[in-house]
Amino acid sequence: MTTNVSLLAVFPDLEPAADAIEQLRSLGVPDDQMNVISGVPVTEAMLGRPRQWTNVPRLALGGALAGLAIGAFLAFATPIQYPIQVGRQAFIPGPPSVVILFEMTMLGLLLSTFLGVFLDSYFPSYRPMHYVPEISDGKIGVFFSCPQENSEKITKAMTALGAEKVEAAEAQPL
Amino acid sequence: MASEKHNDHAHDHAAHLREKHLMLDPLPRGQMNDMVMESMRATSWKFWVVFGVLSVIVAVFLFGAWGYMIANGLGVAGVNRPSYWGIFLVNTVFWIGISHAGTFISAILRVFKAEFRRPFTRAAELMTTFGLVQAGFSIFMHMGRVWLSYWLMPIPNQRGLWPNFHSPLSWDLLAITTYLLSSTMYLFLPLIPDLAMARDRTPDGTWQKTFYRVLALGFRGTEGEWTHLRNAMNIFAWAIIPVMFSVHTIVSWDFAAATRPGWSSTIFGPYFIVGALHSGMGAVAMVLAVIQSRMKHMKYFIRGEHFEGLGMLMLLVSMAWAYFFFNDYMVQWYGGDKWTQQLLHFHEAGPLGWMWFAMLVFNVAIPWVTLWNKKWRSNPWLLFTVGLLINVGMWFERYIIIPISLTINRMPFTWRMYTPGVEIYLGIGTVAFFILLYMGASRLIPLIPVWEVQEGQMAHSLKTYGRETVVTVSELE
Repeated sequence: MTTNVSLLAVFPDLEPAADAIEQLRSLGVPDDQMNVISGVPVTEAMLGRPRQWTNVPRLALGGALAGLAIGAFLAFATPIQYPIQVGRQAFIPGPPSVVILFEMTMLGLLLSTFLGVFLDSYFPSYRPMHYVPEISDGKIGVFFSCPQENSEKITKAMTALGAEKVEAAEAQPL
Repeated sequence: MASEKHNDHAHDHAAHLREKHLMLDPLPRGQMNDMVMESMRATSWKFWVVFGVLSVIVAVFLFGAWGYMIANGLGVAGVNRPSYWGIFLVNTVFWIGISHAGTFISAILRVFKAEFRRPFTRAAELMTTFGLVQAGFSIFMHMGRVWLSYWLMPIPNQRGLWPNFHSPLSWDLLAITTYLLSSTMYLFLPLIPDLAMARDRTPDGTWQKTFYRVLALGFRGTEGEWTHLRNAMNIFAWAIIPVMFSVHTIVSWDFAAATRPGWSSTIFGPYFIVGALHSGMGAVAMVLAVIQSRMKHMKYFIRGEHFEGLGMLMLLVSMAWAYFFFNDYMVQWYGGDKWTQQLLHFHEAGPLGWMWFAMLVFNVAIPWVTLWNKKWRSNPWLLFTVGLLINVGMWFERYIIIPISLTINRMPFTWRMYTPGVEIYLGIGTVAFFILLYMGASRLIPLIPVWEVQEGQMAHSLKTYGRETVVTVSELE
């Protein structure tokens, strides 16, 4: 039975990091065993990585529909419980209801988008995690898991590609 | 020989472009981080003196005067028949207007990929949030019995009281709450990576470390985190624009939905939005001039090109405001309604007619005379002065629309000039509180979104076409 180890390679720039990912793949490390951390949003295309999945747009749509439903309740249902007759307006007037529906839909959309980031990213998370503070200084970190017996070979390959350091990834408090 | 001369010229031109454009003048990320962190930490004694004075003004003028008004009732304010809406609502509209600048700069310029926005989006977004706080204060002051403000909320009760959702005032509550929440979230999302950067650069065991650690939420910059953040920011950038438009349109309906002379206008919605952008852009120019001159290293991040771009937008918005003003004025003047004619005459020739002319000079004449010139509008202090005058002009505009217009109505026996009372002090208090919040934030929050600047610098490069060196921008997303 093979034991896996987690390693972290820190690169000074994007190019060597992208090369390293390609090299890792050729050395048998699958994409789902890699993760890249960076101080700027580096796209999957730049790194040659598979497209990341995000639920944020779906959650946003769900929130918008929920907001619309709440708006409809305020505009159409509550006047039955609390009747307010305004001038010669219809009991449930059209244009003012549009305003309520719009505001509540947008509130639902934006709140759920915000919460979507929290849900998808598991925020907040204050437990120790794999990280190196140099990332916020512009370095690119590549985490990966590989069989123990391959770790030396992979470490050498990463160093040859320009990794500033390759070390065992240890969870630490942020 | 000619070729060498041309190469020298091309080299000089490239050097000039680099000096001029932040996006072409990159520094190592670590150095930019250090500069931003140092700008927050380097505080002189003068800062604390100003901070202390503003704190006293806020304590006395805002909370002290408000307490006095609560204890003695709304009678200590100047609002009375027929001007039931006075400076409180002038300030509400004014502060909501200021708050529009953040969304305009951050969201609209992001959607249209205007690259010069990058270093000052956060400075503008902070204005949105803090401006809305002052608008909220002003509404609560106007309410008088502020402890009953929960009656505005749709809470089922046995008294049979329920907000009237057919009323623009209830829409105000919905729209301003939506805008305050969404602009705060929109401020916070792109701040997370910078808070993580500040967390990584703050020594352990300090309260600042705890502050940044808690607010950074455990952000590390993984591919997933960036993807979720980028998606959310794109949704926000598109969705917050109609929310921004709705807020000031609804504020304008507070007036336009009433069949009063001077108020009943179908053009008030866009007229108010353009007015809001006018004052908001002016306020951003003022804030940027102060940040650039008073905070360490800010001359690197905020340059002439930013003032130049902002100045151009201010000129454009000033022209749009003039168009809407004239459109509104023309139709009312042409209509020939007796009371409207009286009101228009009162605006121009009444005891406060000077305010009407000052409004036109500050909002139109001064921006047009100064901002057409590229060199002038690149000057931070000139832009500060123009921004200040625009804000004075826009405050006058709201004063003319609200209490002055309420003076003239269809019942001449009620005509009476509005004389402000305690609300003058409360208004000064909100200005001081806005500046105080901003100063406090400048010590805690990285005002420059470093990662956005670096992202922009990655996307920009110089390319030579024939004999011309030009700036090119790549689409990184």
